[in-house]
Amino acid sequence: MITTQIDRTQPPSFQDIRHIDLPQAQSQTLPNGIKLHWISAGEQPVIRLEFIFRAGNWYEPQKGASYFTARMLNGGTSGRSAAQINGYVDQFGSFLELNHGVERINVTLYALNKHLPALLPLMADILSDSVFPEAELENLKNITRQNIQVNLEKTAFLAQNRFRELIFGPTHPYGRNIHPDDIPGIHAGVLRPHFEQRIKGKPFDLVLSGMITDEVLRQVTAVFGGLPVTPYPEDLKETATLPDGPRQELIEKAGSLQSSIRVGKRLFTRRHPDYYKMLVLNEVLGGYFGSRLMRNIREDKGFTYGIHSSLATHQREGYLVIGTDVKREFTSQTLDEIRKEIKILQTEPVGDEELQTVQSYMIGSFAGAVTTSFALADHFKTIYFDGLGYEFYDKYIDSIRSTTARDLMALASQYLNPDSLTEVVAGGR
Amino acid sequence: MIHYQQFILDNGLKVYVHEDHTTPIAAVNLLYNVGSRDEEGHKTGFAHLFEHLMFGGSKHIPVYDEPLQRVGGENNAFTSPDITNYYITLPAVNLETAFWLESDRMLGLSFDPRVLEVQQKVVVEEFKQRYLNQPYGDVWLRLRPLAYKVHPYRWATIGKEISHIEEATMDDVRAFFYKFYIPNNAVLVVAGPVKPEEVKRLAEKWFGPIPAGKPYYRQLPQEPPQKEFRTGEVEASVPLDAIYKTFHVAGKPSDAYFAADLLSDLLGRGKSSRLYERLVKDQQLFNNISAYATGSIDPGLLVIQGQLNGGVTIERGEAGINAILEEIMQDGVPEPELNKVKNQAESTLVFSEVELLNRAMTLAFYANTGHPEGVNQEGEKLQAVTPDQIKATARQVLSRDNTSTLYYRATK
Repeated sequence: MITTQIDRTQPPSFQDIRHIDLPQAQSQTLPNGIKLHWISAGEQPVIRLEFIFRAGNWYEPQKGASYFTARMLNGGTSGRSAAQINGYVDQFGSFLELNHGVERINVTLYALNKHLPALLPLMADILSDSVFPEAELENLKNITRQNIQVNLEKTAFLAQNRFRELIFGPTHPYGRNIHPDDIPGIHAGVLRPHFEQRIKGKPFDLVLSGMITDEVLRQVTAVFGGLPVTPYPEDLKETATLPDGPRQELIEKAGSLQSSIRVGKRLFTRRHPDYYKMLVLNEVLGGYFGSRLMRNIREDKGFTYGIHSSLATHQREGYLVIGTDVKREFTSQTLDEIRKEIKILQTEPVGDEELQTVQSYMIGSFAGAVTTSFALADHFKTIYFDGLGYEFYDKYIDSIRSTTARDLMALASQYLNPDSLTEVVAGGR
Repeated sequence: MIHYQQFILDNGLKVYVHEDHTTPIAAVNLLYNVGSRDEEGHKTGFAHLFEHLMFGGSKHIPVYDEPLQRVGGENNAFTSPDITNYYITLPAVNLETAFWLESDRMLGLSFDPRVLEVQQKVVVEEFKQRYLNQPYGDVWLRLRPLAYKVHPYRWATIGKEISHIEEATMDDVRAFFYKFYIPNNAVLVVAGPVKPEEVKRLAEKWFGPIPAGKPYYRQLPQEPPQKEFRTGEVEASVPLDAIYKTFHVAGKPSDAYFAADLLSDLLGRGKSSRLYERLVKDQQLFNNISAYATGSIDPGLLVIQGQLNGGVTIERGEAGINAILEEIMQDGVPEPELNKVKNQAESTLVFSEVELLNRAMTLAFYANTGHPEGVNQEGEKLQAVTPDQIKATARQVLSRDNTSTLYYRATK
């Protein structure tokens, strides 16, 4: 056989992605006001059900109420003990997750299709009849207090929490953190009203993904379509004022081998006109493995295992944060380099090749991130809860590709003025 | 069910193709049959350090990541005691880019001293970030040498100590590369909307010209049966006391593994497991407790780990664990309880097949053990385990002489 020598210095020809096929979720409001959303894909007989309530930090009457309410939803109902609930879920090989966030409480069940009919009544029970038994709550409080104490030994935890506290303020729902001292004040008398006002009989969103057949929709509707539901009260305005101005803080941790650094500022949400372009700027700065910060601080200097920047966007506010764990003695030098990289972005246009790489990478990542029904459901939730439509994703490719080096320079000057950045170091410098 | 086709190139590279035409994305998984168990005891952490060097430029391509990002691809890698695994996802239309990149770094590396120097620093910081600068982060650095006295599983993949990473030389790098990074010591899996003929054409074009190397025959010292109860002590500035117990069990390629895996689930998977329900919920001795099997290729470990509630002594906690172990050794488990963990295992398997990349990785793992068909047999093997086997496994595995216990004490 004659083989021609291949030229390994030349990359093979390739195609840019022009279009991403993004299957959309379907939605239907049940007669009682519960909103059903579903997206079906994949060949495995699996289902993820997410019951989503407007019951996060934003709505809690007292710090910790949302967290403990969520985590107590498998703590017992008037007809079932905690052990019975957990045993029942496990018996069908299902997995129940109870999460709270700044806006919402998410109750997620993973199950094989064949077990769904057996599990739906249990879900209805815990979401309408949880009783918050005192003994279960005391145990959970003790566990939570100790877990926080373990986390307080981690520099990354200290830096991240303090950073959010500084940019949003310590009482703001986006800024506040549960502290061990808050826990004694939690009791069933705090959780029950939160449950009654934000979960029980409220018009939740139910997002189904996996193999969602007509049969599944019928089963779900039969169980939840008949629940008595009353609307949520009007959202309260948050009264805490957002702090302005940058802050710098050092949390000394003796004996720490590394410092955890967080640098950033409050920015904006997905609804902002500069959102897509800012995504590109963030990517160039520290969003991917080939980013400026990664190349400088990891691949050139070897100060760290990793450094990343990200745009964190919630429903009402967003922020940019750069985070890394670095060798303690290089803390100051890393901070200087971060500022230096920002300065370069403000004063020198990003080269064509780098910009194209970033754009292609972002679009490729997006295409690669929407290949399962669970990921498609996550993408749906992102826009749905931010009050956006699928056009947000339709615009994604074009907006990323049309961002220019000049745009990036202007954005870096407008939003990343080094004097506007809050800086937290946990460890030492 | 993960269906696949396979072929072998003349140089010994094993290639597997898993077709899935429901996605526009392809996954390319290249597994090298080398892990930290193949290291020498005085040069540990090297397989993992080497993984970092694989991104530092290859024979004809100065940077690995950028050309991949340019075509919309993503990649990463991990090293375990058993294998080093590199994986890419990218738009299937650009599949050839993955072949170009992966074949070039199998052909040769840049061997740039500057890359080695920087990655040594990066890995040292990784060592600190993950193992030293975290509460309880050093547990596996201490547990492995307690549980293993002879087999190279006695050191952690990150390495025994930082100095081993700092002392690695370019000669070590070259020797390691030519010993292990050869086509006849690797498994390539290509998954996604691809045609086997096209994969074959690309594999022959890009990997075909790479010469085979001297075959690597693994001859590791096997761990002799443990015949004494071992304990270790550590005191550190952590908030809670903790206990870690390990028990030797079969390796994953062995059928005996599945009973041990289910035994670990019975003991400590989820909130209805025996350890959690009794010791966290009922007796409230522990803040958390769980059990699992390591699932390594050579004989592995069943691990029980828990952090104690404040005010509970380690001795009291250990007595609580032991009572549960005694009971399962004496009485075995009722069938419904076994069915529960089988159902959990079944769900986990089905859910794990949702992601294309996971399917590709699992196929590569089994192909590397010499039994690719094993990828579709896990479910049956788990279902076939009987209550009698669980009881027999419990008696054998959980016996006192097969136990190593690490007491992790909080500095008062």
